[in-house]
Amino acid sequence: MATRVEAQTSMSVSDYDYSSFFYSSSDDPFAILEPYNEWYTRALQQGYYLFSQPMSTPPRGKIDLTEGLHHQHIKLLNLSSYNYLGLSYRPEVIAAAKAALDQYGLGAAGSPILSGTMDIHVQLEEALAKFKGKEAAMVFPTGYSTNVGMISGLMRPGDWVIADQNAHASIVDGAILSKANVRFFRHNNPADLEKKLKQTTGKKLVAIEGVYSMDGDVCPLPELLAVAKKYGARVLLDEAHSAFVYGANGRGVAEHYGLEDEVDIHIGTFSKALGGQGGYVAGTRNLYNYLKGFARSRVFSCTLSPVVAAGVLKSLEIAQKEPQLREQLWKNVAHIRSRLEDEGVDVGESTSQVIPIMVRNDRRIFELGHKLLRAGLYLQPIIYPAVAKHRSRFRVSISASHTFEQLDEGVATLVRVLREEGILV
Amino acid sequence: MSSNKDGFVQYHFRDAIGGFFEFPTENARAILPPDLQPIEPHHGSSVLSVMAFDFHDSPVGEYGELILSILVAPRIDPGQPWPRSAFYPFRLGTTTRESREHAIERWHLPHYMQDISIAWERGDGHIRIAATDRGQPIVDMTITEHEWSPVEHRYQAFMNDEDGAYTSTIIMAGQFSENEEERGGIVIHSQAMTDLLEDWEVDVTPFRELWMKNGLQTFHPLQQLASYARR
Repeated sequence: MATRVEAQTSMSVSDYDYSSFFYSSSDDPFAILEPYNEWYTRALQQGYYLFSQPMSTPPRGKIDLTEGLHHQHIKLLNLSSYNYLGLSYRPEVIAAAKAALDQYGLGAAGSPILSGTMDIHVQLEEALAKFKGKEAAMVFPTGYSTNVGMISGLMRPGDWVIADQNAHASIVDGAILSKANVRFFRHNNPADLEKKLKQTTGKKLVAIEGVYSMDGDVCPLPELLAVAKKYGARVLLDEAHSAFVYGANGRGVAEHYGLEDEVDIHIGTFSKALGGQGGYVAGTRNLYNYLKGFARSRVFSCTLSPVVAAGVLKSLEIAQKEPQLREQLWKNVAHIRSRLEDEGVDVGESTSQVIPIMVRNDRRIFELGHKLLRAGLYLQPIIYPAVAKHRSRFRVSISASHTFEQLDEGVATLVRVLREEGILV
Repeated sequence: MSSNKDGFVQYHFRDAIGGFFEFPTENARAILPPDLQPIEPHHGSSVLSVMAFDFHDSPVGEYGELILSILVAPRIDPGQPWPRSAFYPFRLGTTTRESREHAIERWHLPHYMQDISIAWERGDGHIRIAATDRGQPIVDMTITEHEWSPVEHRYQAFMNDEDGAYTSTIIMAGQFSENEEERGGIVIHSQAMTDLLEDWEVDVTPFRELWMKNGLQTFHPLQQLASYARR
């Protein structure tokens, strides 16, 4: 007689992912909710969910957080936030945002093409364009809506979007929405990009990122640009994790390589190094004018809150006036990288301020995450399908506002837990 | 021993290996029934699964099998166990006529109608197969190993032929290794069994490699479907 596996109790929640719950066999769209919630609830109960734990402090080096398993309030050393330059809680930024709140009120109360454009938005766009050395810059309400609006606003059915296989969901979703043909090339692999471009005709857009958020590695921009130009493709460079961090003046990986004029479309966000929210496209005035009409994610959204716009504008000003913030960030990155290397911690291919701590054990990563929380360290586990199976890791994000003492404490806690659990020998 | 009681059929194997390869979704949709949705690891890319089995005990004796499938969204029913993933096998080759006739009659699986040969080479940390038809190469595939652990996985298969559409639950139990280290590879030769793949742009490196040793494959009773899993 066959062995039957009818009982769900023997199943491992990690054997399933979102793709398992995409379709149900019923005509009722709600039929998928029950199976999905059963899986989700089990994941919560078994500690397989360490996400969306609410924080009650700014994203400083030390934070207060309510952990998800036992709902306890705990104090943690924070190595998880994107606040690369420590600007989200700078007093000048908070003061600028408060002043904007007094002047404009909370929201923009309209679409940017109707009543939602305020003078603070125009100032921010002009300051960004000047900073990037481009004719114009357009502000979007989120980083996600930036790529979605940019790509779907420009590309059309029959065109080609060729993206790095690790490209952010906003690039993928923008390409899907455009109804262009979409192909992915192997991560950071110019030869595979060329292979994909060879198979295309017509209008082509190559979409890449400056620093990739899961591995912390930098794109080989010169080689990728050379291939793209050879095949007449336009290039979109998303510098979400590299703008205001890389380059002598903080203009990103394009500046780092001296290739700012070769990149056709510069994308960035305000939510990482500038500590705010929103995104931007920088390029030609013609591109700006066209997107004003066709970037539907912007046209049909309320404009970025003037409060956030004012805070981001002040952050941008500080980021330019205080290059020592970037210098401190890179000193911090070098310090923690050296400490991690001394301890033999596997940091993958990272060369940036985003440092993966490779655990490579999908079944144990959440258990380790709980142990780290109990030991006082806040690190986000990253697991399949965000990364490949068995390439699970914790992601460290370094800020200029971290002290060497905090980084040393973080490494010591991390190494102790990894050794206790046999991950690090 | 294999058994055939109450519609459950068991097949014991020494090795079962599989590679998941990306290929364009437009190719997948061209052969999938309209109600089956391909799984897309990336937008526009579906998954070709190439599996090989080395059965040593079954209702039709010892034989080898090569299966070409497309990964599809599993059929999730409230209150029922969830499959780990689902497959639409679109071409199978077996080493014996008896096993082929059994699979066609019992499971409505679409077969390549010649006996094929499968050579297994078990190496240090990897396993290779070379499938041939009367000396003509069909597929060469290498799968690498990772950590081993005992598992019992539930899968779904969808089949169709001129008589109708069907599904079956398949339980795979044994020592299991799975990785996404991209160390394996495949060569798909131009041959009658693989003619459908000739115009597909199939990645030559599997993004996922699966290997089960000393295992048991159990087919649950076939269910006839009014239609395939609906969107």
